[in-house]
Amino acid sequence: MTSLSRRAFLGWLAAAVPVAALVRRAHAAAIDDLAASPQAMQALGEAVLPSELGTSGMTAAVLAFQRWIAGYREHAELLHGYGTSKLESSGTTPATKWSAQLDQLDATAMKVGGRRFAELPVARRRELVSAELAAIKADRIPAVGRAPHVALALLAHFYATAEATDLCYESAIGKQTCRPLSASVRKPLPLAASRS
Amino acid sequence: MPPPKRIRAQTAPTRGLALMSRLTGRTVIESDVCIIGSGITAAMIAQKLARTTAKTIVVVEAGDEAAPLAQRATLRDRFLEYGESPWPHDHIDGYEIEGPLQSRSMGVGGLAMHWGGVTPRWSPEDFKTKSMCGVGTDWPISYEDLDPYYQAAEEVIGVAGEQGPVAMDPRSKPFPMAPIPLTYNLGLLKEWASTAGIAMWSQPSSKNSRPYDGRAECCRNDTCFPICPVGAKYSPDFTWNKLRASNRITLYPRTLVRRLVMDEGSARIGSADAMQRGPRGSGTPVEFRATSFVIAAGYVWSAHLLLLSRSRRAPDGLANRSGNVGKYLGGHRNQQAFIELPLRLYPGINGQHSLVTKQFMRKPVGDKYLRHDLRVWESSNARGPRLRNDAGALMLGDDIMRDWRERSRTGVARVRAYYDVIPDRESSLVLDGRRRNAYGDPLPKLAFRDAPESAALRGYSDDALKRLFERMARAGNGRVIHVEQDDGGFQDHPAGGCRMGSDPATSVVDGWGRAHDHENLFVVGAPTCVSASCANATLTFCALALRSAEEIATSS
Ligand SMILES: Cc1cc2nc3c(=O)[nH]c(=O)nc-3n(C[C@H](O)[C@H](O)[C@H](O)COP(=O)(O)OP(=O)(O)OC[C@H]3O[C@@H](n4cnc5c(N)ncnc54)[C@H](O)[C@@H]3O)c2cc1C
Ligand code: SF4
Repeated sequence: MTSLSRRAFLGWLAAAVPVAALVRRAHAAAIDDLAASPQAMQALGEAVLPSELGTSGMTAAVLAFQRWIAGYREHAELLHGYGTSKLESSGTTPATKWSAQLDQLDATAMKVGGRRFAELPVARRRELVSAELAAIKADRIPAVGRAPHVALALLAHFYATAEATDLCYESAIGKQTCRPLSASVRKPLPLAASRS
Repeated sequence: MPPPKRIRAQTAPTRGLALMSRLTGRTVIESDVCIIGSGITAAMIAQKLARTTAKTIVVVEAGDEAAPLAQRATLRDRFLEYGESPWPHDHIDGYEIEGPLQSRSMGVGGLAMHWGGVTPRWSPEDFKTKSMCGVGTDWPISYEDLDPYYQAAEEVIGVAGEQGPVAMDPRSKPFPMAPIPLTYNLGLLKEWASTAGIAMWSQPSSKNSRPYDGRAECCRNDTCFPICPVGAKYSPDFTWNKLRASNRITLYPRTLVRRLVMDEGSARIGSADAMQRGPRGSGTPVEFRATSFVIAAGYVWSAHLLLLSRSRRAPDGLANRSGNVGKYLGGHRNQQAFIELPLRLYPGINGQHSLVTKQFMRKPVGDKYLRHDLRVWESSNARGPRLRNDAGALMLGDDIMRDWRERSRTGVARVRAYYDVIPDRESSLVLDGRRRNAYGDPLPKLAFRDAPESAALRGYSDDALKRLFERMARAGNGRVIHVEQDDGGFQDHPAGGCRMGSDPATSVVDGWGRAHDHENLFVVGAPTCVSASCANATLTFCALALRSAEEIATSS
């Protein structure tokens, strides 16, 4: 499906079905969209994630992000606040917005460089993403589900992982994973040593 | 009208309760002891009565069953990935109340299904603030009275702890389990604290430092709050599972007690009128009759139920001749700082575990009244990845990781003090005429208020803690990055509302939790507290409940 026909499909859905069903179908459609654009997502990963991940690490990060999107549930009860009786639930799927933003990156790439986003050199892709993020005044890495842009969402998803922390500290900390209690007293092993 | 269907409680909850009610018009469930609420304090009472008496025990819980252990790893994953509640539907719809409620959770196991499992004892001063420090009100019981029940509670829930210096941290027997080991990070932070003249040790916690009572050893995956996926942290469902499996109790979930009713011609409580909750606000009435009633519904719902139980003979609610039901809600205020230190820390080794000291829980003679605990954690505050550098320029790709790596060469400690606030009588819970539940009962309305002596010291306390944090930072050649203070609306580890005392004119229950006004009615744990100390409170609630259980066992 081309970008245009994907958007047209979402637009057609909007006219054809009630809102609740629309949201569900739009979520599914957006997931299909994102999954149908593996090169665009991979290209985005190369632009925003650290290069030391290598191709396989990058692919793994992008796939994990796609799994996250696919698993998103709308109106799910969120963790209760502390000291308040107010409840919160998750919002509508961010995937439709993110899918449209991927399309937008493609459209801009075509306009300024005559090529699709994934076909541009990494530095040029990064410039396009920077311009988009500047336009929405992005100033921090948000919680994934609240990311106003697909590039930020991908970043946020990666940087929340235990792998990202381990990479930063170059040590096998393994946050929030099951590890022997007794090993907590020693300094985490350097990554290279822990892998060997 | 057909006669009520009578059920003598002894085994698992009667299936088809709703059906029988429809056929007979009413279901009456009889037992020796009826416990209202199934939180951690209810679990203490039930297990002790089950072990030491032959009484039939019924437990009535307004909320739903908790997700079983086998599902918790999946629920935890959803929490970590999406921020979803790992205890979905553990609340009653429509219970948005005015004022700061600790948590919306209402379900089998209560709030301790997702507590952090931090279990310090309070200190001897907490029970004698008037005689030792000249403020507040002395409790009718002392730390020494509570010591054996603290020990018993630590054994039931499994506490791993390190003995602090005996003068600050008295106890008559060792902890049931060796402490949760200090992580590499906490080891460094302990040394730092000692350079500031502060002796710290491993925070006692209800988390298994070895396999304990059929539950797994902690594997430090660090989501104790809000969910432990392996059962290494105690939660009341473990006790309920055992008691239910042995048919020693009957637990009725989704059953909201709406009011307690006095016997005609005496001040004894004869029954509890309840509603077995159906979908969308529907319900089936159930009546519980018992020799003794135990309200173990936490700091809000216990006083709330007593106020709801008003009648012609008790126009202000049950147990309320003193007018103190719902009064003297207490808790502690907190202040915390993030301190940058020239230490290479590795956040994530076991982030919820902390150091603790009781050094500041004893007020030096002649000083103003400020008593507080002090805890230190590893922290990733100000050490996370960021999108913009100090100059505000956007970073992407390698730049983010490079910047993060650079900033994480030094570490950050989170330092927090809870300080004691003396509750005002008007720190209170009342019935809210404007908000009602699905059955038309008014919801509670809460407001915390400091007693004048605490209100006058608030600025002094906040400044003194800030100075302490700065002193600690200097001792480690570090700097305070920022300080956070409570807004004052909510006070942590809330308690009170049915305070204990020897004088029926000024208190609701006696030192055993027995209502002054009703010989067969007990209120246990949090609501009975006279004050709320300056440390996590649940172990104390459990100890108080176990002490009450001894008296309930003799009640007839
Ligand atoms: C996120 C979080 C973290 C915490 N961490 C810690 C910690 O680390 N250390 C610590 O000391 N404390 C902690 N606490 C506090 C601790 O969880 C509570 O102090 C403790 O669980 C209270 O137990 P309880 O038995 O008094 O009441 P609850 O747990 O509130 O149980 C009362 C039960 O009664 C039921 N009930 C109420 N009214 C009725 C009625 N009318 N009919 C039938 N049933 C009724 C409720 O549904 C509820 O299940 C934490 C709390 C939260 C929310
Ligand atoms: S650290 Fe993990 S295993 Fe240990 S008690 Fe907490 S959640 Fe359970």
